[in-house]
Amino acid sequence: MAIRHRSVAVALPTSARPTRWPSVRTRESLGGMALLAPTLLLLLGLVLYPFCYAIWLAFSDKTVGSPGQYVGLRNFIYVLSWPQFSAAVTNTIVFTVCAVAIKFVLGMAVALVLNQRIRARNFFRAFLLLPWVMPAFVVYLVWRWLYDPLAGLINYALLDIGVIASPIAFLSDRSTAMGSVVVAHAWRNFPFYAISFLAGMQTISQELYDSAQVDGASRIRQFRHITLPGLYHIIGVVLLLTTIQTANAFEPIYLLTGGGPSDATMVYTMLVYVMGIMNLRLGEAAAVSTLFLPLLVGLVLGVTMLLQKKANA
Amino acid sequence: MARPAIRPTRRQFLKTSAAVAVGAGATRPFGAPALAQRPKLAYWCYQFLKSSDDARANFAQEWAKKNNVDLQISMVPLKEFLPKITAAIEAKATPDIIESDAVELRARGQLLDVTDLYKKLEKTYGGWVGNSPKIMLEPDGRVHHIMYGFQGFMLMSRDDLVKEAGLTPPPATWVDMLAYAKKAQKLPRIFGMGIPVSNQTDSQVWEDMMKSYGARLADEKGKRIVLGDYKPQVWEFLDFFTEVWKAGVLPPGVTTWDNTMNNSTYQSGKAVFILNPITLSLWLEENNPELLAKTGHYTYPKGPKGLIQPVTFGSRAIMKYTKVPDLAKQFLWDSMEPGKMDREHGVSQWGPVLKAYLGFDVWKKKPFMKGLIDLSLRGEPQGYPDVFNDAWREQHTNTTISRMLQRLVVDNWSRDKAFVEALDVLGKIYSKYAV
Repeated sequence: MAIRHRSVAVALPTSARPTRWPSVRTRESLGGMALLAPTLLLLLGLVLYPFCYAIWLAFSDKTVGSPGQYVGLRNFIYVLSWPQFSAAVTNTIVFTVCAVAIKFVLGMAVALVLNQRIRARNFFRAFLLLPWVMPAFVVYLVWRWLYDPLAGLINYALLDIGVIASPIAFLSDRSTAMGSVVVAHAWRNFPFYAISFLAGMQTISQELYDSAQVDGASRIRQFRHITLPGLYHIIGVVLLLTTIQTANAFEPIYLLTGGGPSDATMVYTMLVYVMGIMNLRLGEAAAVSTLFLPLLVGLVLGVTMLLQKKANA
Repeated sequence: MARPAIRPTRRQFLKTSAAVAVGAGATRPFGAPALAQRPKLAYWCYQFLKSSDDARANFAQEWAKKNNVDLQISMVPLKEFLPKITAAIEAKATPDIIESDAVELRARGQLLDVTDLYKKLEKTYGGWVGNSPKIMLEPDGRVHHIMYGFQGFMLMSRDDLVKEAGLTPPPATWVDMLAYAKKAQKLPRIFGMGIPVSNQTDSQVWEDMMKSYGARLADEKGKRIVLGDYKPQVWEFLDFFTEVWKAGVLPPGVTTWDNTMNNSTYQSGKAVFILNPITLSLWLEENNPELLAKTGHYTYPKGPKGLIQPVTFGSRAIMKYTKVPDLAKQFLWDSMEPGKMDREHGVSQWGPVLKAYLGFDVWKKKPFMKGLIDLSLRGEPQGYPDVFNDAWREQHTNTTISRMLQRLVVDNWSRDKAFVEALDVLGKIYSKYAV
């Protein structure tokens, strides 16, 4: 019985049976995964590794040229007790919210104008991109000169027409410094909003406006009920991208005020620069960035959810 | 009738390609053997004053040609040096030789020991000038960078305006300087004192002023903050600063000036006094000799407790990762040769660091160079009377004292509040390095 059983088990035609290939569906899935693998690996290498490395840095005493040892929460405690950190949190929020709001309003207004049938429309559309294509450092050095209290054009003009009696130090007064930086930054970046909104407006059917006009809708009502809803998706993408970009802006602060006067324009990117590059203490700089991560994610989520809500409504 | 084209088969094509590749490879060992053996040297040259930069870069090119070295020179402005070297170290792609004040890299063990070169230069060229040894020698007697020049802030004065106001330059004390500035300025076009009070390192001249009132930041070892023990001296200094601010001698905008604004203000004739290295005078020599003729160059005025006159410096160092340490040392040695330095001093902002350089004619030819000799002979290392170490350096780049002053005039904080914050910041910085 046992022998018979063995002969059945061993001599069985199982080995002779042809290998079963995976089904067409499985083969397709495997092939697809194999094709995606290089891209996924690249993404992991380019995104996930630096991200995790930055988090690791925040928990180490890494300085330039040293491997760095794990120090637990020491960097976070140091950074949180650093006087400029609280100023950096407030200023980053103020800068981001104000700059995005100005760029949005300005961009929308210009897009609305350029969507009309006006003379030399194509020229103005091209001209609009000028601030955006200029190198950032050129733009901000020009603005620095415009704001200069001794030789700047703005003060010169205001003094000349008698609006002010003595020059205003736009960048050096706590009450005007942040506003001046925001204006310069908004001027350079609003064309991206305008061009994006303009592209969106051109996809909205003219028939909708014609019908609304027949029904007696005013321009404002047309904007509220046709243009704006038609742009929700573009607005969402633009706000998402530019909120991140604005919160991470470095050049306007670095070139216009250096974070001053008295930390009135100190944003987190400037603080990271001072700690990481000027003082070569990469662990502390990474801790600042890591602490700002939830704030940035919160800002982005807030914007996205708000727009999603609007779009669904 | 056209002949049909003979198309090679794939096998033939591969055979031919392989033969060509092998042939090309075989010829390599015979081609330009000298080029293949030329050692490579990457040199990051400090960029600031064109005439001086050109002189150093030209010497390096000639040296490379003479020694058959494949030299790669990169001109790196001071402001970009730290970001660039940080990236280079982390990417393990550093140059062989760098020009900077090198202190941060020395402290982080990134530089090659050049004590032998230091001693050889000292012996051959009659010894080092002024406080050079104090700056280069570490507590254990080792040296990691070789200074090639002193420079430092001097009082530059519009002597014509000062004399026009019935005064005799230079002002002896800081209080005198304020009095001179008030009298000589012509508002709203010309301001008395073009000195920044911002987040840029040039603003730290206020720290030097504070120290001439008798204060110091840390103890003799440079480990523990003692500024709190010097409250009366700091108070006296803050009173002086408040008076300066209220007198309106500082141009509007100084709280966000960068390190170029004091230069440009003086160049455009809008300041009576500034504190600046003679780079500005060399610029004026070429571009505005009339203004240079009206300019006097002096050491700092004194404070109630004496003169604090710091010097900065330029130095060369070899990165520890170099594959050609001997060649790099040879370059450092040759670049200190007196004949070469004589030519270079004539067009640069650097004061002499070796005694063999003191006899150069250039010190007698240009009147503003006299101040540079005084500075080189008597100037104290940066931070004096504090120890010039990593902690001092970090509080310096953090512009701690200038921030304290900004709190007073921008935020209207009380002296106590601003002082307490400055003490807290200094304590935090120094405690990191105390272990």
